[in-house]
Amino acid sequence: MPTFECDVCIVGGGISSALLAQKLAELRPGTSTIVVEVGDRLFDTQRRWQDRLRSLAYGENPWPGDYVEDQAAAGVISRSMAVGGSALHWGGVTNRFSEEDLRLRSMYGLAVDWPLEWTELERFYCEAERRIGVGGEPGPLPEDKRSEPYPMQPMPLSWNLRQIKAWADKSAIPFWGTPQAKNTVPYDGRSECRRCNTCEICPTGARYSPDETFRRLLAAKAIALHDRTLVRRLLARDDGKTSQIAVAQATHRDRPDDPVEYRARLFVLAGGYCWTPHLLLSSASSRFPGGLANSSGTVGRHMTGHAFVGAHIELDAEIYPGMNDQHSLISRQFFRCAADQPYVRHDFRIWESSVGREPRLKSDDGRLLMGDALLADWRARAKRGTARVRAYYDVHPSAESRLTLDASLKNRFGDVMPNITHQLDAATEARVPATKRHILAQFERLARANNARILSTSESNYLDHPAGGCRMGTDRSASVCDSFGRTHDHENLFVVGAPTLPTGGCTNGTLTFAALTLRSATEVARSLA
Amino acid sequence: MKRRTLLQLLAATLVALPARIGLRAQSTTLAAADVERLRLVAEVVLPQEIGIAGRTRAVDQFLTWLQHYRAGAETDHGYGFPRLRRTASSPAAKYARQLHDLGATFPQMAVTARVGAVEAAITAAGVQRLAGRPDGGHIASDLMAFYFNSIEANDVCYRAQIGRDTCRGLNGSENRPAPLPRGL
Repeated sequence: MPTFECDVCIVGGGISSALLAQKLAELRPGTSTIVVEVGDRLFDTQRRWQDRLRSLAYGENPWPGDYVEDQAAAGVISRSMAVGGSALHWGGVTNRFSEEDLRLRSMYGLAVDWPLEWTELERFYCEAERRIGVGGEPGPLPEDKRSEPYPMQPMPLSWNLRQIKAWADKSAIPFWGTPQAKNTVPYDGRSECRRCNTCEICPTGARYSPDETFRRLLAAKAIALHDRTLVRRLLARDDGKTSQIAVAQATHRDRPDDPVEYRARLFVLAGGYCWTPHLLLSSASSRFPGGLANSSGTVGRHMTGHAFVGAHIELDAEIYPGMNDQHSLISRQFFRCAADQPYVRHDFRIWESSVGREPRLKSDDGRLLMGDALLADWRARAKRGTARVRAYYDVHPSAESRLTLDASLKNRFGDVMPNITHQLDAATEARVPATKRHILAQFERLARANNARILSTSESNYLDHPAGGCRMGTDRSASVCDSFGRTHDHENLFVVGAPTLPTGGCTNGTLTFAALTLRSATEVARSLA
Repeated sequence: MKRRTLLQLLAATLVALPARIGLRAQSTTLAAADVERLRLVAEVVLPQEIGIAGRTRAVDQFLTWLQHYRAGAETDHGYGFPRLRRTASSPAAKYARQLHDLGATFPQMAVTARVGAVEAAITAAGVQRLAGRPDGGHIASDLMAFYFNSIEANDVCYRAQIGRDTCRGLNGSENRPAPLPRGL
């Protein structure tokens, strides 16, 4: 059996893994680090132009082969499984959470507090923004004060967003450009954004992508990358006083009959909100019947994220769909909620849209449209513009919001696959109707501001930007790890990124996952000393 | 990137790819007589405003698209779309049948009669909406889907050089798109 020994074994190859490996290589040069990832490495940057064009022309996967067919979870939000993880095709939105997210219990009597201070997290937000390269404009609200400027100037607002901002400003809700991990100037050896409008596969490298970090680490021989290798189980060594992870058992997808072992001083699980708790639960043994790191019984619980309400609004504005529909406006006006008011917290985003302005085959009276008639109909409807609005609102998971092992789902090796079912806590359930009314009232407020009308509304039937499953905390009986991600039960086992979040905030989570991981990296490095 | 440049790049890419990726081999071309019929269909389903040259270009690009269609290719799953799917079989054979079904006299019909024949065929095929990209519903509606969802048609509709998906750069994007040059 091939056995690999190293200082640090990182399980998973997404954005948290990339940033952790990068920082470890800086803090502890010479550390032997192995990253184990079940998916492939898709490093052919030349091919991205071609794959992008095939995606546009045929709807083909712009990242061919970025999944493992039978490594599938029920209730998962993305099948992406490759070196780079879900962030291969992320939109690059890098909003921060707010201090309220860390103080829900002490400020509002809701959910739990996070076990770290806002000022501490803010420091690592700055570091994450520097490492991945974020362009943004500081918001006007004093609560959003930053300790460092954005590393890059903001993405300029397109003509469309300028029109929409002028319209939105009449509502007296302040909006500004969303910060993004896209280069507005050449940065970190990557080119500036060219507004290709396909950020899910950025052909220029202007949008941060973790695979690039891995490529550089490999070129510098700072890590070893074992792709196509599935870590299926961790084994703990327990002397009665302390417990440590001794071995990660794995299988290379091309050599299923020849298992692989990894032995390391430290193990770091960076498999995201789904596969990290899944691995811990799958590592159950007679000594640890509930799985590893699970003396609290909370592994796979408190699966979180945020819900949303959206709408399309028709407005009097000269909008040219397709200028840059990946960029949006944001307002953080509703990130805060006075303690004596009903609890409602949400972000507020606006994008250009072509909804209601697309070419169509039939007129309102059912007449078939072709040729000149179709073009005339399209032009007539294109005279007004459309904005897409969305508010992610804060919801809190119950302990029954779970990732469980589902014996009806198995991969090719017979391993039981996960099933995720979100469930909100009672306080959240009780306030959701009022939250939705509040958000719809804000949409109406926007619409009324300038002879606009709401074309349609929609709401989520899932939690977006999912996280949780190994929540951090100071209470060992109610959490899996401490604020650095070190598990309470096994001193050489860390969990990083999305799974550690106790609650999911009310805006995109990736920057928070990255900031927490970078903070974990300092502790991982210290542990190696 | 200029629109023509993008189209040239697309054509070059489409030519280069199939040999690299071994997917199911199928006939993905139309016979010469079918292509001539398709050009007659284009006369009635594409706008007069783009002229003969524009319609010829649209049909040529549609044929290139069809030629390099790959059955069984992975489709975009991405974030929020966890279901894995593959592209359907090539619509080429179905297209040939549909062109044939327009009738032996279709090439000799007056334009108004051809309009009626194409409308009847689309209705008979049960096509209810313009697809985001050709989906095999009917070759006439698929040609419309191909053209009207194109970068070029978007520019024609708005009479502006929007250049959707064409990597235009940051400079100047805060300005209103320039008007289309006359004749486009």
